[in-house]
Amino acid sequence: MGKKVIKYIIVAFVVLLVGYNSVYFKKLDEVKAEQTAKTFNAAAYAQNFWDKKLTPGLSNAIAIDKLIPMLNTNPAQAFDSYSHALGIGNLRYFLIQGKGTVAAIDGDDVTVSIAGLPEQKVKIATEYIFGNAARDATGLININDFNNTMDFNNVSAEINAIIRSKVLPQLKHAKVGNSISFTGAIELNKEHVNLSQIEAVPVAVNIQP
Amino acid sequence: MRYLTVIKQCSLYFLVVVVVLCGCRSGSDQGRHKKVAVIVSTLNNPWFVVLAQTAAEQAKSLGYETKIFDSQNNTAIEADNFENAISAGYNAILFNPTDADGSVSNVLEAKSAGIPVFCMDREVNSVDAATSQILSDNYSGCVAIGKYFVEKLNKQGKYVEILGLVGDNNTWNRSKGFHSVVDFFPGLTMVAQQSADFDRNKAMEVMESILQAHPDINAVFCGNDAMASGAYQALVASGKANDIKVFGFDGAQDVIESIQNKKIMATGMQFPKVMAKTAAIYADEYFKGKRDFPKKMPVAVELVTQENVNDYTGYGKKE
Repeated sequence: MGKKVIKYIIVAFVVLLVGYNSVYFKKLDEVKAEQTAKTFNAAAYAQNFWDKKLTPGLSNAIAIDKLIPMLNTNPAQAFDSYSHALGIGNLRYFLIQGKGTVAAIDGDDVTVSIAGLPEQKVKIATEYIFGNAARDATGLININDFNNTMDFNNVSAEINAIIRSKVLPQLKHAKVGNSISFTGAIELNKEHVNLSQIEAVPVAVNIQP
Repeated sequence: MRYLTVIKQCSLYFLVVVVVLCGCRSGSDQGRHKKVAVIVSTLNNPWFVVLAQTAAEQAKSLGYETKIFDSQNNTAIEADNFENAISAGYNAILFNPTDADGSVSNVLEAKSAGIPVFCMDREVNSVDAATSQILSDNYSGCVAIGKYFVEKLNKQGKYVEILGLVGDNNTWNRSKGFHSVVDFFPGLTMVAQQSADFDRNKAMEVMESILQAHPDINAVFCGNDAMASGAYQALVASGKANDIKVFGFDGAQDVIESIQNKKIMATGMQFPKVMAKTAAIYADEYFKGKRDFPKKMPVAVELVTQENVNDYTGYGKKE
């Protein structure tokens, strides 16, 4: 009888011990806070990239009046030396800078005649600020920083949102004939380079009457 | 005595040569003895045949024994394929999953057996299971389609979206990319959004029923080219093919021809051969010691339009 009681007590103790260690309680707001901390914040990443990498590095952009002749004579070298992309494929991005004169303005873009290259026009986008050009053109973002595709898609969207709010308002004051200097990101297909329709997503502009 | 010495010396040289040759042979055979399995969702669709065959050919050209396993769009068969590949001693798996969630356990099984898995085209919903996932950049490709769509519709009109399989990640990445552009333009109104499971016939039926409710639409965006062809067929039958613009995604041969004939406006060109070759090259690099692979590697999708269609052929660029 005595042995049975001891047995039951031991079993009950073990069950209680296992049960106690199997169940634990946490505050709901603590759990939610942990989940939020783990969620990738694309807006914060984009702002940090804009402030600490993209805008401080604008002087490294290749001058368009140097890039265009190189793309004409030795495109492979131009792509190897100055283009970047986060993924693989033919679409590559360049960070360019240039000076020129505003030649035309329409609802979607501002056309610039490039100084020193009278035949060359670059359209600075004012309506279609989409895609990965501004994110990828510097080559300063590492794909291994991201665990899933939607995170780096969202980074592009957030960088484009910064451009809409910070850069586009300056382009609204542009008039035909103004002098303009700009830095922007362009996309080119390395298999089929089309220099007649270069469209830059602006990162910085300076317009002089 | 002298002869004996010479014989001894010759024997010694012979032994050294044999040992050296054996050493060299075993070294060169190291790569050749490794085996790479290609497990593909289905071989009943030419797109996936191209993917699987290219992966196998690339792995073979790198010196590995290869075999293609067909999962017949069935996760149970896929699980058997993984078990067979693991028990047969394959050293890497180039994998096109049948199901983003259902395939995770198979990848984890291979991982626990020490076999790296490289996903091609379709992803599994796990960050840590596969060694690397090489995927079409569906979102960015549809950003480009969205921009062209807005331009061709002059920023206004009514449109329909026909989605692929609602449980497939590619369906939503494409839809999100498209809407990330189109939703910026208030003049464009989506009057219907329906799934047709990536199927041409279903898309035709869906389009027919949508046209009855919304005969005044200006455009239709489809999540793949098979559905774009089905939608176009419905438009031809209703006599509206010249009034409603159709946009697809994939880069299928028949749609490239339809773009050339101005029946379909545009598509997003995927590159199955690039994805397959990259997966095989990653496996080769893994065998040589590399470990820091990107968890997900996007492969650029190119916009094929009325203006540049002559640069392209089905599933790729003209050579």
